[in-house]
Amino acid sequence: MSGREFHPLVKQLLDGDITLAELPAELRAEGEEALALVGAVDRAPVSVPRVTWRVMAQLERRRQTRRMLPWLLAPALALAAALVLFLRPAAPPTNPSLVTVRFVLSAPDARAVSLAGTFNQWDSHATPLVRTGVSGVWTATVSLPPGQHQYVFVVDGVRWVPDPAAPAVDDGFGRRNSVLTL
Amino acid sequence: MPPETGAADGEIVRAVLAGDRERYAELVERYRDRYARYAARMLGSADAAEDAVQDAFVRAFDQLAQCKEPDKFVGWFFLILRNRCFAERRRSKSSASLEAAEGVAAADRTDGHTESNERRRALQLALLELTPDQREVFVLKHVEGLSYVEIAERLSTSVPSLKMRMHRAYDRLREQLREHA
Repeated sequence: MSGREFHPLVKQLLDGDITLAELPAELRAEGEEALALVGAVDRAPVSVPRVTWRVMAQLERRRQTRRMLPWLLAPALALAAALVLFLRPAAPPTNPSLVTVRFVLSAPDARAVSLAGTFNQWDSHATPLVRTGVSGVWTATVSLPPGQHQYVFVVDGVRWVPDPAAPAVDDGFGRRNSVLTL
Repeated sequence: MPPETGAADGEIVRAVLAGDRERYAELVERYRDRYARYAARMLGSADAAEDAVQDAFVRAFDQLAQCKEPDKFVGWFFLILRNRCFAERRRSKSSASLEAAEGVAAADRTDGHTESNERRRALQLALLELTPDQREVFVLKHVEGLSYVEIAERLSTSVPSLKMRMHRAYDRLREQLREHA
């Protein structure tokens, strides 16, 4: 043994198979050193509350991207799309120039959440979100024209919160607006 | 935060697969913090752990139909997170030690016991010098408090092979800590 390795009995002590009192007297000091080593491990809990909305927002964004893909690739896929439509007629969207977007915010403690943005003249009452399920996730589905839109969430009518899952720009008054480009 | 409903994991998984996507948030809420600690100790950084847990939940969602036993979702999810942590360590090994030191230093400011903080910081740095296999068994046993039998079940391996890994880990930790003492 090199002297840098713990004695096998000390390893059993660390494994919890024997107690310090069961070690031979000449190994007690080494046993205490080993217990101090393991005792220094950081067992503090780690809290990552943002993960819930980050996961749900990422899933939602991806779903929207998938929905938009046929429109983005429309010229290239025109022939294929025509074929698919011919084979499987489907109801066309009511207004193909609009893109359906679902906004999602996790706010378990909120009593009300709404959207204010360039698309509703920053009217915080115009586009309320609906609380879905039991997890404090709020959603609203809005049809928007292609282009760039700025917006924030309004929580409980007073707190203006940029979308944590979207890029943001300075609004010129010291606050941040989220940006959605369609 | 405890789950707001007592719905079993399997019930939620089946609801999500049936199209109720929003209910996936219940699983995320239920397990995110528990597994963030494992990821933080494996990666040496709370920020890296947050990203890893997020990625793992998104991957788990994508592969949810492959979760053959929905009632054992959490064991299946753990393996996805584990793979993510191992891949991350391979990718960013060089920067991890510094982040670990900074992470522990941040924790130091909150309780002020200098000597124990110093020991904790030294151990966290030494942990990052272990192989991922060795570090994992140490974290699961001495941070998460699992028994060898529980770890063996979770990782589909044997208790003797886990003990071998752990005993090497003890020696390497002792060596590292003596070198930096």
